[in-house]
Amino acid sequence: MIYKVISKPEFKSFIDAIVKANTAYGPKQVDTGCKGEPVYQFMPVHAADEIAFDYTATHSSAKHLFLPFRDELSKFSFTDGNWEQEVRYDAPPIVLIGLRPCDINAVNILDDVMLHGPYPSPYYLARRKNTFIIGMDHLPLPDCFCKSMNRHTVNHGFNLFCSDIGDRYYLSINSANAFSFLKEFKLEEPSYEDNCNLIERRKKIKHSFTTNIEVTGLPVFLDIEFNSPIWEKWGDKCLSCGTCAMVCPTCYCYSVEERFDIDLKGSTRQNHLYSCNLVDFAQVAGGHNFRPKNGDRLKYRYYHHYRGFAANDNQQICVGCNRCGRACLADINPKDVINDLRLERESCMTCVSTSPDKT
Amino acid sequence: MNHLGFELTRVLIGSFDFTCCEGCQLQLANKEATLPEFLALVDIRNFREISSERLDDYDIALVEGSITRSDEIERLKAIRARAKVLVAFGTCACFGGVNSLKNRIPQEELVREVYDGKVIETMPSMRIGDIVQVDLSIPGCPVSKDEVERIMVGLVTRSAATLPKYPVCVECKQQLNTCLFDLGEICLGPITRAGCDAVCPTGKTACLGCRGPAEDINYPSFVQLVKDKELSAADMREKLSLYNGFGGYLDQEN
Amino acid sequence: MHDLRFNIPGQDLNLEPFALRAPDFQKKCEVMITDRGYKCRITNIVPLSGQERLFLLRIVDPLERELFNFRPGQFLMLEVPGYGEAPISISSSSSNHEFIEVCIRRAGHVTSALFEARQGAIVSIRGPFGTTFPMEQMKGRNVLMVAGGLGIAPMRAPLFWIGNHRDWYKDVRLLYGAREPSQLIFNYQFEEWQKVGNVTLHTIVEKPDDAWQGRVGMITELFDGFTFDPEETWAIVCGPPVMFKFVCNYLDGKGIPMNRMFVSLERRMHCGMGKCCRCMVGSTFTCLDGPVFDYWSVMNLKEAI
Repeated sequence: MIYKVISKPEFKSFIDAIVKANTAYGPKQVDTGCKGEPVYQFMPVHAADEIAFDYTATHSSAKHLFLPFRDELSKFSFTDGNWEQEVRYDAPPIVLIGLRPCDINAVNILDDVMLHGPYPSPYYLARRKNTFIIGMDHLPLPDCFCKSMNRHTVNHGFNLFCSDIGDRYYLSINSANAFSFLKEFKLEEPSYEDNCNLIERRKKIKHSFTTNIEVTGLPVFLDIEFNSPIWEKWGDKCLSCGTCAMVCPTCYCYSVEERFDIDLKGSTRQNHLYSCNLVDFAQVAGGHNFRPKNGDRLKYRYYHHYRGFAANDNQQICVGCNRCGRACLADINPKDVINDLRLERESCMTCVSTSPDKT
Repeated sequence: MNHLGFELTRVLIGSFDFTCCEGCQLQLANKEATLPEFLALVDIRNFREISSERLDDYDIALVEGSITRSDEIERLKAIRARAKVLVAFGTCACFGGVNSLKNRIPQEELVREVYDGKVIETMPSMRIGDIVQVDLSIPGCPVSKDEVERIMVGLVTRSAATLPKYPVCVECKQQLNTCLFDLGEICLGPITRAGCDAVCPTGKTACLGCRGPAEDINYPSFVQLVKDKELSAADMREKLSLYNGFGGYLDQEN
Repeated sequence: MHDLRFNIPGQDLNLEPFALRAPDFQKKCEVMITDRGYKCRITNIVPLSGQERLFLLRIVDPLERELFNFRPGQFLMLEVPGYGEAPISISSSSSNHEFIEVCIRRAGHVTSALFEARQGAIVSIRGPFGTTFPMEQMKGRNVLMVAGGLGIAPMRAPLFWIGNHRDWYKDVRLLYGAREPSQLIFNYQFEEWQKVGNVTLHTIVEKPDDAWQGRVGMITELFDGFTFDPEETWAIVCGPPVMFKFVCNYLDGKGIPMNRMFVSLERRMHCGMGKCCRCMVGSTFTCLDGPVFDYWSVMNLKEAI
C-alpha cells in the first residue's frame, strides 16, 4: 500500500479520465423518494460529473456486477446424435467507483465463498479480476451497523481507497495499476497534518455510529434458538418477496435452470440469483418443501448471515450495511430481529432462575 | 432430441378467443424475431389471427378471454372435449380479467348504460376454470411472449413448463428500480406472480396484479404494509380487484 | 493523454496450488469447476420396477474415463442436455472404470427425460462430489447395512467395495426393507451378494403379495433375528429420513456410538459445489459436507430430520 494525497479538483479529473476510458459504474441519483430523500444506485457513468461523490448509500449493492442476477453458465448445441458444450467465463474490464468499506468487505466475503472453497468459480474470478475498485469512506447513516459486524474499515480488496480529509482525499493505493494511472495526476506525499486529519476522520467515523447490534456469541444463540417462537412472529410479517436478498451485498444463493432454444437446436444453462426467502427455495423434485413456512425461510437467512456456514469457516457474512432493513416493506431489519432473539433468551433465563430480588 | 435417441413431434395447437381483446393471441403473432421458429415448433390447426385453417384436431387449446354468454359455455365445453391440454391463456381466461369489473354493477343497469336498452344476452364474467378443467394457466395482460414460448417449448419437449412461484419484487429489484412504495404508491408487486420482468414498475407504473397472486402469499402482511405507509385501503382494493386475480383474498376480508 | 484502459485477461485462472494435486489437473479442473461435464453414453438400461431403472453410463473420452475416480457414497450431477441436471448417487463399484451405474427413480422432468432416452443416448456427468462411507476405518469390524426402499441405490457402492475387500471385514449383514415385494429392487443380485459376497441378507416388506413368503413388518423388526456386538459393529443406513431416524435410534439404544453410524442425506442440489446453497441443512452443505454424514452430525444438524 502506498499513501498519497490529492486535491479534490485533481481527483475529479482523475476520475473523469478513468471513467471516459473505461466501462465504469458509480453512485448516481436515480430518483427522489416521497419524503424528498434522494435514491442512489450504482449505474453506468460516463463522466465524473454524473457521479454523486457525496452519496449516502445505494439502495442495491454492487453485487450484481460480480454475480449477475442472470448469468449464462454454458451452452449446448445439439448435432446429429451428439452435442457440444461451450463454457465461457470471460468478463470485460470495468471500473467500480465509490464502494463503501462495508461494500468492499462484502466483495472480500464473496471472494472467500466463491474462490477459496474446493471448487473456485471461474465465472466469479473472471469478473473479480477484471474489476478495478475505487473505494470511498463515508459517515455512517443512523441505521448502519457495520461497526458492530467489524466491517466498517477495510484494508484489502480494493485498488484505490479514498478518505475525505476536507479539501483533499487521502489515497491508499493498493495496486500497481492504480499507481500507474495516478502518475498522470498531481499527487503529494501526505504531510504530518494530512496524517492527523486522516486519524481525525477515522475517529469521527468510528464515533458516528448510532446503531449497535450485539453479535458476540450470536452463532451459539442462533443454534439454541432454532425453535424459538420469534421466527414465527417475524415470519408472519415476512412477505417472502426476496427483496432483502436482491439488495444484499453478500447474498449469493442461486438456482440453475436449463432452457431449450426455441428452435430446439440447443439449450442454455443459466444461474439465477435466488433468495432463501422465496417459497420454493427448498422444494425438491417430488414436490416436498423442506421449509414451507415464512418463518423457516426467514430464520434460514439469518442463520446464514449471522451464524455462517461450516464450509465457509462459519464466517458471518453480514457486513452491516442494513440495505435489507431499509428495503424491507414489512419492516423487518436485522437490528430488531437480533435484539428480539436476545430478549427472548434473556426472558427465558429470568423465568427459569429465581431472582432473590423478586418476592 | 437426436442425442437422446427419441424424436419430438410438433404439437397440434388451436387458439380460441372468448370475451376479450384478442391481445394475448396477438402477442404470439407479433414477435416476428422468433415467429418462424415458433411456427416450426407447433402445427397450427385453428388460430384466427395466424391461419385460415379451421380444423378440430388439436392437442393443445389456448383459450383466451372470459365467459360472459351462455353460448360461450357450450363452445368452451366442446373445445375442452377435443383438447388434451387446455391452457387458460391470458388474465381474462385465468381470472376473469378487466371484464369482471362489470360484475360489480347490476346487469340491467349495465345493458341500459352501454347498449341503450337493446336486448343483449349477458351474464357475469367467469373464468374458464369455473366451467371446465384447466390444465395450465399462462396469466398476463397481455401474456409475455417469452414465457409462452418457454412453456410451449416445455410442452413440446416435455421438460419443465412452470411459472415462477415468487413475486414480482424479485424481478423488480433485479432491474434496480426504486420501490414504488418509496415513491408513495401502492404497488401489488410483493404479492403478484413474477415472470413479467417487472415491466410496469420498471416503467414507474404500479403493478396491478395482472398475473394474479404468487404462491403462498402473505396477504395480511401486505394489508398491514399499506396501512403502515398510510396509503389508501380503498385504492388498494381497487387495484386488487381490477383483474379479479385476488378475489379470494378480498372476499376473505369482507 | 496517457491511455488509462486496463485489461487483465479474463481467463487468467490462478490454479497453481491445485495443479500440484494431480497430473492432468488442468483438464480435471476445467471439468470440476466450470459447468463442463464428462460426456457419457448410456450403454444399457435395466428396468428394476415400474418407477426405477438402472442406467449404465460409459464415459466417452478414454482419458476422462481413467480420471473419473469415485469412492462409495459419492454422487454425481447427471445432465440430460436440454433438460437440466439432477444429483444422483453412484450405484456401481468404485473399481469399475468401464461403467458407472446409476439407479434412478422417475421424479422430476430431468429423470423423466432420462426415462425417455434410448440406449446409445449421450448425456453428461459432473463430479464425483461429496463425502464417502469410511470403508477403510471399518476394516476389521462387523458392518451392519440397513437399506429402506430406494436406499439400496447408494448402498450398492459400499456393497461392491465389501465384495472386493471381503477379507477386511468380519460379519457383514444387509437388512433391506420395502413397502411391497416388487419394490425390493436388485432382487436378481440377492444370491450373488449372499454367496459371492458372503453377506447375510434379511428382507422384509410392509405389504406382502400372494407370492411373498418372507417376513412382513417394519424394517426395525429385522433386528429380532440376530445379535451383534455394538463395540465391534459399524452401521450404514440409507433410506427415507423417518426410517433412518428409527433405525439409528434403535442402534443407539443397542450401544453403537452415533459416530459409527453413517447415513446418506438427499436434498435438492443445483451446483454440487457448495455455492448455490440449495442443499443446505442447517449450516451444512449436503453436497460438500455430505451426502454421507455420521449420525452424530445429523443429530446436530438443524432441520435434518
